[in-house]
Amino acid sequence: MTNAIETRDLAYRAGKDFEIRSLSLNVREGSIYGFLGPNGSGKTTTIRLLLGMLRSRGGTIEVLGRGVPGAMPAILAQTGYVPERPHLYPYLSVAEAIRYHAAFYPTFDPSYAAELRRSFNIPTDRKLSALSKGEMGKLHVLLVLAQKPRLLVLDEPTDGLDPVVRRDVLSALLDFCSQGEATVFISSHLVHELERICDWVGVLDDGKLVAELPMQDFKNGIKRVRLAHAPAAAIGSPFVVLNREPAGTEQVWVVRGWEPQMAEWFGAAGAGVKEIVDLDLEEGFVELLRSSRTPAS
Amino acid sequence: MYRQVLHAQWLALRLPVVLLAVLAFAVPLLTVTYGGSLEGAPTGRVAEWLFAAQQIGVLIPGLALLLGLLLGIGVWAHDHAGKHVYALSLPVSRERYVWLHFTAGAALLLVPVVALGIGALIAVFSVTLPSGIHAYPLQLTARFLLASLICYSIFFAISISTKRAALAILGIICGILLADLVLSVVGVSGSVTPTVFMWLTNWPGPLSILIGRWALFDV
Repeated sequence: MTNAIETRDLAYRAGKDFEIRSLSLNVREGSIYGFLGPNGSGKTTTIRLLLGMLRSRGGTIEVLGRGVPGAMPAILAQTGYVPERPHLYPYLSVAEAIRYHAAFYPTFDPSYAAELRRSFNIPTDRKLSALSKGEMGKLHVLLVLAQKPRLLVLDEPTDGLDPVVRRDVLSALLDFCSQGEATVFISSHLVHELERICDWVGVLDDGKLVAELPMQDFKNGIKRVRLAHAPAAAIGSPFVVLNREPAGTEQVWVVRGWEPQMAEWFGAAGAGVKEIVDLDLEEGFVELLRSSRTPAS
Repeated sequence: MYRQVLHAQWLALRLPVVLLAVLAFAVPLLTVTYGGSLEGAPTGRVAEWLFAAQQIGVLIPGLALLLGLLLGIGVWAHDHAGKHVYALSLPVSRERYVWLHFTAGAALLLVPVVALGIGALIAVFSVTLPSGIHAYPLQLTARFLLASLICYSIFFAISISTKRAALAILGIICGILLADLVLSVVGVSGSVTPTVFMWLTNWPGPLSILIGRWALFDV
């Protein structure tokens, strides 16, 4: 399977305090890839690097099989981008903004745009400066979906939107994805939102990719294990230890890549498994971040 | 695509463009009314009238400068406000996007130029000129077009430049003023500002077109 987005050892520095280090992403074609990370972790910067808006200091980027930034206009012709904050011209009306956007994309489908506009209930004659935040968010999504892109890049598209609008936007995205083979790259710090729609997850923290794995593995593979007589180290374990903490006479380990038969490894190491608890996505996300900041011994 | 960019620029800038068009239309008409009536005027009175008309003509290069400034800055104002994120996400090369904006702004510039041309023609047809005095409505309009276009290009280039380049330009201006201040404090005769001004406004200086007589009527 080919990748819609592929970066190798991507490096970027902004000022003295922030840098992206050796970032290697693999976003499979046709997947819905959730790009998770806390605020300020570098999600927007990474997206801007992918779309040629910023120039990297090192590494390579390929989007839709073409090199960035060399093939930018061709890549952008097949890419729909919803930025973190809307940047459309505020003096245009909705109808004018749609016509303006359509002029740049030969694949733009005006009838689909009209259909989405009706379902999103956005008034055509209203100026963009008079739209609510939710209407503006929906308009952005409308514009990129009507482009019929091969790749959708969404930077926190539902941030700050009320639950009703958020549901409208996400269901429109899912409808679009179910119609074709588009790849979706969606960044968010709202873990639960991505849980429902993504099939792959990348976790970024402080400019570093902490994990990249199928959503199923992320959901089912991170466990909290309560152990009696825990071994001093996890040398040779078939899973990754994210965290370990004492709990009275016992220890609680948080592990990644867990499968049921792995309990035998503890038995062989002389430990007793008292309890295995499934972590929800948010807890797993927090543990991943914690382990990347202070790796378990 | 160009039509949409032009339409968007028109919507953003129509107010200053229309205001400047009204002014550009009015200035040539003011030229013929400012000096009073010419009917049966003696030679001395004609010379006064011509002098008054040429005084009004000074407004035209000022208008060209203002038009160039407002359009040069205005065509990028909303892109600057959005940090160019939307522009950079569009599937056109940066060079082409700049060219689209430049030509759209230049097209809007034609509105006041045409208004000045019409005003000049009406002014010329509304007055009976004594022998020896000639009208130059088309030449004046062409010069206004060229002057506006040059000013527009300069401000467009400054407006699109990076922050660093804009700071460099500002630094040079401050440096010139500071040099003058230092020269005056230490009592050295001479000044940098007039030299720079002369360099800019004398041929082949970029602003030389603004200097000289802007006369709708001349001998």
